Amino acid sequence: MLLVNNLSFKRNNNIIFHNISFSVGSKKIIHLTGKNGSGKTTLIKLLAQILLPSQGDIFWNGKKIKKNIFDFYKNTSLIMDTHSANLNLTIGENIFFWKKLSSSSINIKETNAILELLLLKQYINTPVGYLSRGEIKKLELSRLILEQKKLWVLDEPYSGLDESTIKLVNETFINHIDNSGMIVLSSHYLPQINNFESINLENYADY
Amino acid sequence: MQIINAIFALFYREYKITFRNFSDILAILLFFILGILIFVFSIGSNNEIFNQIGIGVIWTLLLLSNNLSLKKFYHDDFNDGSIIVMHMGGLSYELIVLIKIITTWIFVQCPFFLIIPIAAILLDIQINNIIYILVSFLIGSPILTSIASIAGSMNLLNNRNFTIGSLIIMVLSIPVIIFSVGIVNEAADLIKAQLNILLGILLLFLAITPWVSAVCIKLALQNK
Amino acid sequence: MKFLINPNRFNQMSDLILIPLIILTLLTLLIGLIFVFYLSPEDYQQGSTVRIMYVHVPSAWLAMLTFFIMTVYSIVGLAFKIPFSFIVNSAVAPIGAIFTLICLITGSLWGKPMWGTWWVWDARLTSVAILFIMYLIIIFLKKSFNNNDVGEKITAIFIIVGSINLPIIKFSVDWWNTLHQPATISKLSSPSIDASMMKPLIIMTISFTLIGLVTAFLRIKAEILERKLRN
Repeated sequence: MLLVNNLSFKRNNNIIFHNISFSVGSKKIIHLTGKNGSGKTTLIKLLAQILLPSQGDIFWNGKKIKKNIFDFYKNTSLIMDTHSANLNLTIGENIFFWKKLSSSSINIKETNAILELLLLKQYINTPVGYLSRGEIKKLELSRLILEQKKLWVLDEPYSGLDESTIKLVNETFINHIDNSGMIVLSSHYLPQINNFESINLENYADY
Repeated sequence: MQIINAIFALFYREYKITFRNFSDILAILLFFILGILIFVFSIGSNNEIFNQIGIGVIWTLLLLSNNLSLKKFYHDDFNDGSIIVMHMGGLSYELIVLIKIITTWIFVQCPFFLIIPIAAILLDIQINNIIYILVSFLIGSPILTSIASIAGSMNLLNNRNFTIGSLIIMVLSIPVIIFSVGIVNEAADLIKAQLNILLGILLLFLAITPWVSAVCIKLALQNK
Repeated sequence: MKFLINPNRFNQMSDLILIPLIILTLLTLLIGLIFVFYLSPEDYQQGSTVRIMYVHVPSAWLAMLTFFIMTVYSIVGLAFKIPFSFIVNSAVAPIGAIFTLICLITGSLWGKPMWGTWWVWDARLTSVAILFIMYLIIIFLKKSFNNNDVGEKITAIFIIVGSINLPIIKFSVDWWNTLHQPATISKLSSPSIDASMMKPLIIMTISFTLIGLVTAFLRIKAEILERKLRN
């Protein structure tokens, strides 16, 4: 259960956003939106503890996130706009690395099933550098299922994806929620799902 | 335990990446050999001179070759965000730095243990001295790797003047070269003293490098 | 004491002190030069050339003092998150660089007639040369970053790591006894320099310190203004 309380962030004396509060519990999707520069990526970075807020607190499972950081990381998958698969390694090697890092209990059959769904299975022994941008992005998103974590935090997950993949991603989101998962995602587009809470960061720009 | 899995995974990943790009390592070794060759041409193939300056030439080139490993440390992982993935997998930044230093030392510096004797023979250096060079390199090479790690982490957001990374490495490596070259042609207890000083510098750098590099990485992540 | 860490207090203090400080600087410089040229003896061996020492030694001390101040401010700035320390760092680095350069050049000019060589690679000369290069790296490093906050923090880290050089300079003269003369002034033993040479040396040191201080104050004030404009 993630709780954001009166979060504010300043950069160079410019207030990016002020007094944002929301909570994410099981079976909940939070959709962050707003024009470019409104602070979507910044808020994601604050959640991931890459940045520290100027004011306010984040709580994870009842404790301050700074004191509960290992539990938070153990239960969170973070997908940013960069592609964290190493271009020199094959898909299989990257997946092995992610699995070991997250001590996920997913087995080979399930992994192969996901890769087939994403149309990546034939590239399992190809270095990622040879794949197209969209395929690398699909690989990145596969981390969500591979790591088997409860909270998914995503920055612009739909960018660069084709329609069928977007549909696949939305189905995956719904599946995750049905299994008591939590999602925080930032996007310009409105997700074609039911039942999410939208937060427009432009509403928090001035106070 | 989970952390041991994560540590092993990172070692394995670095090993695989290095061997996927093995020509990179060979290029660094070739740089060293080419440097020796350039010295031979610039000084003229006078064996007497090599006896006196050969060790210095070898150490100078070891230092300069170290510059080439600058970008290998954190740049790729920082730019594609995988360093955040590693951090969220339970590895603290200090631990990531330590593992990177160990793998870079093994894959970039250790091949020099084979190349240095070859270069030394080419420069007509006696066997005794070759052993001294290898011993001082054993202590000095982790120091050089640590310095390269510090310089690499400092230059993550440096987009204007990348040469300065090499300058930082060269300036910080000067004590290493002072105490490792001075070992040869000295009396036995002086050698011990200088080796001890070198060992002290090594311990100092091992103590501060993970912390310094981690601070620089965190700083760079905040301002990406 | 707040003026050491707070830019507004610093501006208040420096506005009060600046003019008297400039007058004091010119005064001590004048007195010092009188002592140097008229009231100090010629050296038994070196003749009049020894008077270069009265510029060479103070600038050496100030070169190291400046680096020490930068190190302290870097630690304070990183540990306690005080932005003023980075202002001091960027203001004071070129001053230290110039003092080091004066030290090297006057040393060289002194060395040629006295010991027959412009330069020699003994421990002290080498470590002061390294100090100069460090200053240059510090100045270049700060400019290499698009983001000023990152640049000044990374530079502060480099200053702390590079401050290891200072003890090496200070003690290198004890470890290696080569061309440069051993320290004549140390805390543990009475100085081996005659009082008549000590007086002008001290006055010139004070005047150089004041010159450094005045320049630093002016540069810090300018740096504070520049940051205000940027924001």
